[in-house]
Formats: sequence, C-alpha cells, structure tokens
Amino acid sequence: MGRRKRVQANVAGEAPARPRATAWQQYRALLAKDVRIELRTREMLVSMGVYAVLVLTVYGATLSQTGNSLDILNVASGLLWAMIVFTSLLGLNRSFANESADGCLEGVLLAPVSRPALFLAKATSNFLFMTAVEVVAVPLFFLFFLAGADVSSTAIWIVLPLLAGTIGMAGIGTFMATMTMDTRGKDVLLAILLIPVVFPLLYACVAATSTALLGVVGQEAVFWRSLALAVGYDVIVIAAAFGLYEFVVGS
Amino acid sequence: MTKTSSDAMGTRRRLPWETIAIVAVILGCALTTVDFLWAFLRAPMVAGARLEEPALIGGTVVTTKMLFSQKIFYFHVPVAIVSFAFVIVAAVYAVLFLARRSERYDVRCRLCMQVGLIFIIATMISGDLWTRHDWGVWWVWEPRLTTYFILTLLVIAYFILRAAIDDPERRARFSAVFAIIAAIDAPISFMITRLIPSSIHPVVLRSDSGLSPDMLIPFLCGIFGMALVGFGIYRLRLRIEEQAAEVEQLKREFEQTVA
Amino acid sequence: MNDERRDAEAPAGRASQAGQRDAAAATPAIELRDVVKAFGSRRALDGVDLRLPAGSFLTIFGPNGAGKTTLLRILATLSRPTHGEVRLFGVDALHDDPEPLRQRIGLISHRSMVYGDLTARENLMFIARLYGVPDARARVNELLELVELDHRANDQARTFSRGMTQRLSIARALVNDPDLMLLDEPYAGLDPHGMRLLDELLDRIRPGRTFVMVSHDLERGFASCTHALIIARGQVVLHGERARLDQGAFRETYLSVVGSLTSDVEV
Repeated sequence: MGRRKRVQANVAGEAPARPRATAWQQYRALLAKDVRIELRTREMLVSMGVYAVLVLTVYGATLSQTGNSLDILNVASGLLWAMIVFTSLLGLNRSFANESADGCLEGVLLAPVSRPALFLAKATSNFLFMTAVEVVAVPLFFLFFLAGADVSSTAIWIVLPLLAGTIGMAGIGTFMATMTMDTRGKDVLLAILLIPVVFPLLYACVAATSTALLGVVGQEAVFWRSLALAVGYDVIVIAAAFGLYEFVVGS
Repeated sequence: MTKTSSDAMGTRRRLPWETIAIVAVILGCALTTVDFLWAFLRAPMVAGARLEEPALIGGTVVTTKMLFSQKIFYFHVPVAIVSFAFVIVAAVYAVLFLARRSERYDVRCRLCMQVGLIFIIATMISGDLWTRHDWGVWWVWEPRLTTYFILTLLVIAYFILRAAIDDPERRARFSAVFAIIAAIDAPISFMITRLIPSSIHPVVLRSDSGLSPDMLIPFLCGIFGMALVGFGIYRLRLRIEEQAAEVEQLKREFEQTVA
Repeated sequence: MNDERRDAEAPAGRASQAGQRDAAAATPAIELRDVVKAFGSRRALDGVDLRLPAGSFLTIFGPNGAGKTTLLRILATLSRPTHGEVRLFGVDALHDDPEPLRQRIGLISHRSMVYGDLTARENLMFIARLYGVPDARARVNELLELVELDHRANDQARTFSRGMTQRLSIARALVNDPDLMLLDEPYAGLDPHGMRLLDELLDRIRPGRTFVMVSHDLERGFASCTHALIIARGQVVLHGERARLDQGAFRETYLSVVGSLTSDVEV
C-alpha cells in the first residue's frame, strides 16, 4: 500500500494527496446510518407512535364530557398540533441517544465531516421519522374525533401546513437537541428551549390547518398567508441554525 | 484598596463606573417620575386602540369602539422598549462572544439578559394591568402580550440552559447561541401573531405614532428614564460580578502560593 | 522498490530531492508553541511547548485534571486553544482549513465511538464513507482481518465483549490510514489478554506513523515510547526523548507529580 512512500512523505512533512468525501457523500452516509439504525431497532418510531396514541387517549378522556356543546372542528387543528409537538419532542430526545452513548458523535466530528452536512443529515432523518409517525397518527386522530364532524372537502390541504410545520420542528428541534444532548435533565430542557422558539411556527400552522379543516373557500387569503408565514419561519430559523451549528458541535 | 486588574473582566479603564451607574439610576428614576407626574396630571389620553374586526372579549362583543388607553401607556411602552433593547444588546454580546471567545462577553450577555428579564416582567405586569382596564379581563392573547409572554419564556429558558451545563466554556457557547435564536424569534413571533387574524387573538392596532408634543415629552422622558435605570442596574451588577471574580482570582493565587 | 527506481530515473532531481528530504526531515509531526487553553481564570493548559518528530511515539503522563485530555483533543482538532500555535505536519491547525488534517488523524479513546446497533462491518463502512476512502469494501475487509474480527463482521457491535469492542475501535481509527494516532488511556478496562493484544496491534501498525498516547500506566507507557512527557496543572513538568532520560529520575518526578504507580505492575 505504499507504506514506504508514505513514510518518506511524512518525513518531508507534505500531505500525500488523499481522496476526500464530498459533503453530499457524507450527508448520504450519515442519513443512511440513521435510517439503518432506526429500521433495525425501531426505537424512535415505536415510542413516538405509542406516545401519539396515548395523547389521543388522553384527548378521549378530556373531551368526553363536552358532548354537543363543543364544535370539535374548531379545536381539532389545535389538538392535532399539540399531539405533533409533544410526540416530536419525544422523538428528538431519542434521536441523540445513540450519538451521545459511547461518544459516537465525537467519532463523527473527528472526521473531516462538513458540519452543515451533519446538521442536515440529522434533521432529515428526524423529519422522516416524524412524518412516518404523522402518517399514522393524523388519520387516527380523524378517526377518533372527526368521524362524525362536518369536515370540509378541503381537509386534504392540511398536508401543506403539516409539511411546513414538520420541517421546521425537525430543523430547529435537531439544533436544540444537539445542545441538550449531554446536559442534566435533557428531556425537560429540550422542551423548555424548543417550545417558546417554535411558538410562531405552531401558531401559523394551526391557523392554516384550521382553515383547511373548516373550508378554505372564502378563506384562501388566511390559508395562504399562514402557510407563507410558516414557510418564512422555516427558512429564517433553519438558516440561523445552519450558521450557528458549528458553535454547537465545535469547541 | 487598590484594585487588581483582572484580564477576564477587562477592568482596565479607570472611569468611575460605579459613580456613573448610581447617577444613572437616580437620574433615571427622576426622569421616570417626571414622566409619571406629567402623564397623570397633564397629558391627554393616548388616542387609543382600534380593532381590525369584531372580536369577542370577556363575554362582550367589541367592535370599533374607541378604547381609551390608560395612562399606564406612559410606563408600559417605555419599559417594553427598554426590555427588548436589553435582549437585543444581549444578543449582540452573544455574537461578540462567538466571534472572540472572551469570557467578558459571556458575562455581559448574561447580565443584559438579567436586566432584560426584570424589565420584561415589569412589561408583563403593566401590560396585564392595561389589559384589565381596557378589556375588563386579566389576560388576552393579543399579539403584544403573547409576544412578551414568549419573550419571558425565552429569557427564562436562557437561564435554565445556563444552569444545566457545568462546563463553563460550553455553557457560554450554548447560551450565546440560544440568546441569538431568542433575539431572532421574538420579532418573528410578534409579526406572525400580528399578521394572522384570529378570534381569540384580536389584533389590536394602536395609533401610537402621532403623539403630540404634550404627550411626546413625558413619553420620551419615560423611555430615557427607563433606559438609564436599566443601564445603571446593569452597570452595578457588572461591578458586583467583577468584584466577585477578583475575589476568586485572589483566592486561587493564594491557594497556589500556599500549595 | 518503486521509489528507488524512480530515483534512479531522475538523476537531476535526485540530489535536490535527497537534500529536500534531509532538510524536510526536520519537519516535526507536532509543533505546539505556548498553547494556552483557558476560559476566564481557569487554565486547562498554561503555555505548553512541544516538538515531536514524525514517526515518534510520545506518552503523556500526569495526574487527573492535568490537561492531558485537553491536550489530546487539541491535537485531534476537536478543540481549539485560546492562544498559541498548533502545527501538525507543518500545517497550521488553527488558521488553515482543518479538514485535510482531520483526514490524517485517528483517535482511540476509552469511549468506543462505535454504534452498538450496527454490525462491525457497517460501522467501518460508515466511517470509510465519511472519510471518502476509495474501495471502501476492500479496506474494511483488510481491517477486520487485521484486528481479528472478520469472523464477527456481521454481528452487531452491542454483542461484542470489551476487548472486541476495543479492537473494533482500533479498526475504526485506522480506516483513514492516519499518520497521527492519538490514544487516550487505551488500556483502561482491559484484562491482561486484552492488553497484550493491544500491544501486538500497536506494534503492527507502528511503522510510518506518529503516536501520542495518554497513559496512567508508567511501565507500559514508558516501555513503548520514544518520547515522554509529564504534565501537571496545565504545564509541562518534564519532557524529552526516552533514550536521553534517566529512568530513575523520571520515575521520581512521576511519583511526586502523580502520586502512585499503577498498583499491579513493578517497574
């Protein structure tokens, strides 16, 4: 393998030309690693899924006495997003359990890995897992609470705010979870840091979702404006996270 | 007692900051008092609030009724402005810390957040009182109150984050990052709650812009007064921190010579 | 052999090349100048100077909290000093892009840095892709053979014993064929058999590489090193080539600084 040549190069103090991985290749490798681990252990997916069902169960109890006086359609959007936020918090905490155990994240940082690629890969994997859980939990929510309600035909539009909101949660959530990874009381700390920061996004997404459920016709301006604000939030906050990530993983 | 100059705290300049700080607090209080007295005795009511659309608040439907804002405006708004200013300054120190990695910026960031917190709480209380007067209820999820509530949570979160990390360098780094995110988040929060209409969150537009001189003077007095008070408190806190750090340094040096 | 032929074919450049090699042979693997790592009034490293020629084996001794791990992390480019100069293989680690340097560094610590849910092979393939190692599959197979884990290549790392995990960590550190190997108390937690295996492996991978090892084991650390360094309270107390150091004096300084030798070994 050219050991002698390398010794001489060492002695000469020059770096022998070494192949490097591109940021894209590293991103793919990191993403593949996360997905592979998750598919094998299903830890995050199962715990998030179970937690979502538990939240729905709690809803069942809390709404049991409302009867007909509460037009559930009005609060549905809020309930749905509350479930998503809490389930996402759980998932985000778990997503870094692997990295913190055995110092794996440090092993990755040791390599010439582009820090933004690391952030994006983790955020993407979290986004994928959150979406996977939502694909199950949202229809379940509809089944439990909106079966008898007068849901508008435009309800399918909720896919758009769900997407925007999940992207934002995954982005800024991954960022915060990296910070709280090795701290005391990391689960609670993540919630304390994340919820105030995510509040505007939540607000916009709930508005858009609510409009979609009640009927977009006549309310298009509200729907599109809320959606645009959610997307605007995503862009600004994820760009900030992108820029600040090296301070969170570096030293 | 001669002060030993400590690099970490940057006490190189010999301006009599302590005196300046005390003067600032006194002057600030004086100005604020002027503001109050003027507001309560002389200034006309602020041409109040107008709702964008009918809203259900506190059990009654409120439409474009001209609501007369209380004199508390002269206290509430200056305090709100100053509190937000301190958070912005804290974020500036956070950026400086990340760029230069000197501990003094971390200390200043923390202290700005502390003073900011004091003023934010004052804003919340005065805002709540105002709401009670205006709407007859103790809390409304209107954009300003909501944003300030979020801001309160963000600043408290900042301190909880600091408490959770032991390693001082990491603590400084992470709290700086969070301070920057908080400073970005607060205006976004305000904009979003303002731009999205909602029945529970009435968007209350206040025509504060055209203030007559009779109202402007106490208002400005209030702002400057509050700013001075804030600055004075900040400076005094900084001095206390510096002295504590000096004591630590002396203790360490003493231990080393003994060891 | 190829190199000699190449030399013969370029007589004009040969003299200058030899001269260059002689002059450049002085380029050390590590050069630290007045490195300080401080935050506020706390100083983890307080003015560390170090010059290590390429191909050496440096063992760092010192009590807990002396700054050994901090120093190692700076060498690994995982951490940046507050002041001072850090040059690895002549490259400024602080001001130039650290990524080409990271390509040439490997670290073994007492934390395995191995994903328990992935197999040994998957772990190594993952690292190989991060480093952009060409022909990763062949390289990974080669490494698995080297550390004698090829029969367990497709088992999840969580099923490995401590010794096997250690071997996997070593394979992991070798994926990018590093010129500089950093070891942070690698013998910690190993039984005598594991220690022997580690020694054998280190001997095998020794040629052409520079090593820096942090150790609490005076005998082992001193035996394998070419240079030794004692650090306490962030400052270098004693440092030099092993051949030139008086072993007795070294031991005395070590004892006075660290407190006691490892109990189960006689020096």
